[in-house]
Parts: sequence; structure tokens; C-alpha cells
Amino acid sequence: MEQSGTSTRLAGAVQGLMSELVSALRSGDRFRLAGTVAQGNGPRATADPALAAVRVVGADVVLPSVLLRCAPPASDDLTVFSRALHAYPPPAGAPPTSVWSHWAMRRALLRLDASLDGASGDDTEPEAAWLDDAPWQFLTHQLAVLAPLALPGEDCAVARAARRRPVDVARGFVRAVRRRDWLQAAGAGRWLVLLDEVPQTLGLDPGLEFVAQMGGEDARVAFQVEAAQLMRAGVPV
Amino acid sequence: MNHTRLVHHVGVGALEWLHAHRDGFRLELDVDPEIGFLERFKPVGELALICKVLFREGVAGSRQATLARQLIDHAWCHTLDGGRMLVRGQRAEPLSPIPFEVYLPFKELGYSSPEAERAFRLNQRLDSYAALEMSPVRRLGLSAFQRRFGLPPRVPEADVVGATWLGRSPEPWTVEGHIAYDITHTVFHLTDWGENPDGLPAEVAGYLADWLPAWLDDWLDLQRWDLLGELLVVDACLPRPTLDERAWEGFAAAQQPDGAMPAVRTMPQGEPDEVFDVVYHPTLVAAFASVLATSRALTQLVRTPS
Repeated sequence: MEQSGTSTRLAGAVQGLMSELVSALRSGDRFRLAGTVAQGNGPRATADPALAAVRVVGADVVLPSVLLRCAPPASDDLTVFSRALHAYPPPAGAPPTSVWSHWAMRRALLRLDASLDGASGDDTEPEAAWLDDAPWQFLTHQLAVLAPLALPGEDCAVARAARRRPVDVARGFVRAVRRRDWLQAAGAGRWLVLLDEVPQTLGLDPGLEFVAQMGGEDARVAFQVEAAQLMRAGVPV
Repeated sequence: MNHTRLVHHVGVGALEWLHAHRDGFRLELDVDPEIGFLERFKPVGELALICKVLFREGVAGSRQATLARQLIDHAWCHTLDGGRMLVRGQRAEPLSPIPFEVYLPFKELGYSSPEAERAFRLNQRLDSYAALEMSPVRRLGLSAFQRRFGLPPRVPEADVVGATWLGRSPEPWTVEGHIAYDITHTVFHLTDWGENPDGLPAEVAGYLADWLPAWLDDWLDLQRWDLLGELLVVDACLPRPTLDERAWEGFAAAQQPDGAMPAVRTMPQGEPDEVFDVVYHPTLVAAFASVLATSRALTQLVRTPS
């Protein structure tokens, strides 16, 4: 019961954080992180679902400032981001998506303020061999989980794996929509706006609108679609 | 099991079942007029079409060819009473295209009913016949059959293709069951049931090559074997068939030991005639998909440099 209560609180915190991020993407207003999370580094702070939610959302927490070129996050916001990064390192044997999402957070932090990171300057990529021969269904699922890496101009191994297989990712989008897996569809859609040679017949633009309409009450879905549409519109990055 | 052997084996089993259950292809002479005498003609026409594909592709073993010949003879001589039932059906509903559509594959296999043909020729000259309202994919099929029969298609096929769902290349993520059947039948008509893969316009073939894998994946997981079988036929009609191993393995695993293919998930329960009515179509489709895919696999083998 306690486990499920914790999961529910975390899920609620993730929804709350994502809703605020959606508002920030839509309004262009500065997004504040500080004040939403308990202070300090003690056990109470790491048990705070708000801090865990920052780790779950990952690098997308700073997406408004990356994508909109609005004011960069304030130093106390970055402090919270950094605390989440260091409080939840991927454990030994963690799945590649967990390792990569942690890496994405670290790199986002390094780009915004290297002084906050313990091992400044070191952003060696994790290995990405697990995607090399992945069937298109699995590839799309993993990419959707790693949607925070779908950024204009991003050049990491995961982004290169996506760029090599635009038709496969498009098939994965079709599959996700057919299964009403709106979160996966939104994440795949965000990757697709960045890829060349996506078949025109996919109908990506109405597809993104469709996903938002059908699944947008989930703030995570709304956020990914919003991010995809902003990138599609070619916001300056 | 070698993949081509697995594909071939599905068709062998399906034909054994169809042959053993050939009495299921039956008309109802005293049917309620509200249902209509022609209601039970469709399975007979489908059987003839699939047997024709089997003879044409030439990949059936001698036992399969014998079973298919006995099946088609049974359908013509017994079920259709040497063509007299087609005449009777046409007299009951002169404007219905169904007797004509059932007759065509029999005619192409060498059977003949001059009396039925006279009725078809007269009725098809009527403006009313050309004006019959039907969905574009159905119209496409009728025009293709008119061409094959030697009649001028009352709406040229090229004029109909663009009105079909597939001909417009819409968003592939909107496909559901009914649309999927419209897609498969558009491909059947454009390729003369797999005989002429070049009949697929290049843009349609490209569209299918992009999106068919996603649909195969979906209907395999939903265990909708009837539709999956039709989609496997579509794959075999493409310039570069994938002969999707995962889909074929799932399809083969769904087949019963006696060769029957359930329509959805597992075999239905009920009286033999009721079970036949649910299962004959996916089993025919299994035979059809198997023959075409086996033929394509052998063609690929020949073309692959050693």
C-alpha cells in the first residue's frame, strides 16, 4: 500500500510539474523550479516526490529556456535541478534509458551552468549499442522514453540512431496511435519533427494534433506535443 | 522449420480443411426473401477465386492440385448445379452483380453457362446497372471483373482508384478494421488477385511498403487472423514482399491441426454449419496468402544470386 501511495504521489507530482512546463512553453514566461521542492539534502528531501518528479521529467525541466530562449533558469532553480540529478543516479545495471536520461540531465546542467556539476566538463556519452539492431517497435518505444534528447541540433548516439531510421520511427508512431499509447506517440512525434525523410503520407502535423486531442489530458502528452509543435514551427534555438 | 516451408504448410492445411468441409459451401433454396437467395453465393465465388490463384501460381503439390480441382468441380457441379443456380439468382435479382462476380473465376477456369452469360450481357447494358451506387472499392472490383470478362468497364478502373481510401494515401494511423479490408480489396482488384503485381500504381506500392509493417504488427497482436491473412496477401502483392516472419509464425500458430483458421483469436463453438460460416473465410484467406507468399519466396530464391 505504501509503495502504491508513493507511486501515486510521484505520478501526481510529475503531472503537476509537466502542467507548469506546458504553461511555460505556451506562454514563454520564465519557469521557476525553486520553491516547489523541499530544501536540503537530507532523507526527507530525497523522499520528496517533487524532487523525484524533477528526475523523472529529466532534462525537459529546462526545455522552456532551451527552446524559447527566454531568460535562463535562475541559480536556485538550477540548484534544485542539480540536487535531483545527484539524488537519483542510475543504479548499477540500470536500463540504458535510465543511464541516458541521467546523462541528458547532466549535459543540460553543464550547458547552463558547469559550476554546479561535480565532474564538470566530462559529458562522455553512454554507449548506445542496444539500439543498433533494435526492431522498429522497440526502437520507437525507447526513443519515446528518451524524448528529452529530441532537440534541434542534438548530436548524440541516440539522436544518430533515430536519424538513421526515420521510416521505422514513423511506423512506431502509427503503432503507438493505433494502440492509443498517446505518451509513446507524442514522444515519437517529437523525434519525427527533427528527422529527414519521414514519409509525407504519415500526416505528422494532424497526427500531433490528434494525439493532443485524444491524450492531452495527460500533461506529459500535452508537453511532448507542445515541444514537437514548437520545434516544428522552427523556434530559434 | 524453414520459413518458406512454414508458409507453404499453412496452405496445405487450409486446403485439406476446405476439401473436407466442402459441403459447407451451400445455397439456401428456400431462404427467407428478406435475406435473399444471393446471400450465400459469396463464399462460392471466393472459393473459385482462390482455386484459380492456386492453379495459376503453380506452387501447389500434386495432392493440393487434386484437392483444389475436386473442390472447384464440387462447387460448380453440385453447389451451383452446373451454372443453373447462377441463372436462377440472376432472374431473382437481375440488377445484382453477385452472380456475375461468382461466375467469372469459373469461366476463367473453363466452366461455362451460356444462359447465364446472356443474362449478364443484357443486364450490364442497362444504365441502371452502371448507375448502381456502391463504394469505390466495390466499384473498382466490378470494373476489373468486367474487363476480365471482356465487357467494357462501365466506369474505367483508372477513374475509380483515386476515389478509394487507399488511392488517396491518407494518414496511416487512422486505419481500423473496415478501412483495412477496403485497403486489402483495393490491392486484390488492382493486381487481379495477385496475378499482376505491376497493377499497383507506384505511389500506392510505396505507401503500402511504408505502412504495411505497422498494420501487420497490430493485427497480429490483436489476433485478428482473417484480416492478418488478407494483409499477408497484400504483402505478397508488393514489388518487394517482406514475407514478415513474425506475422507468418503467429498466423501459422493460430491454425488448427485440421487446417482451419479461426477468424479472431480462437475457434468458435457451435453447430458444424455455424462454425463453417465463421471459419471458411479466414481458411480460404490462409490458402490464398500461403500460395502467393510461397510463390514470391520461390521467385526471390531464383532471383537471388548464389
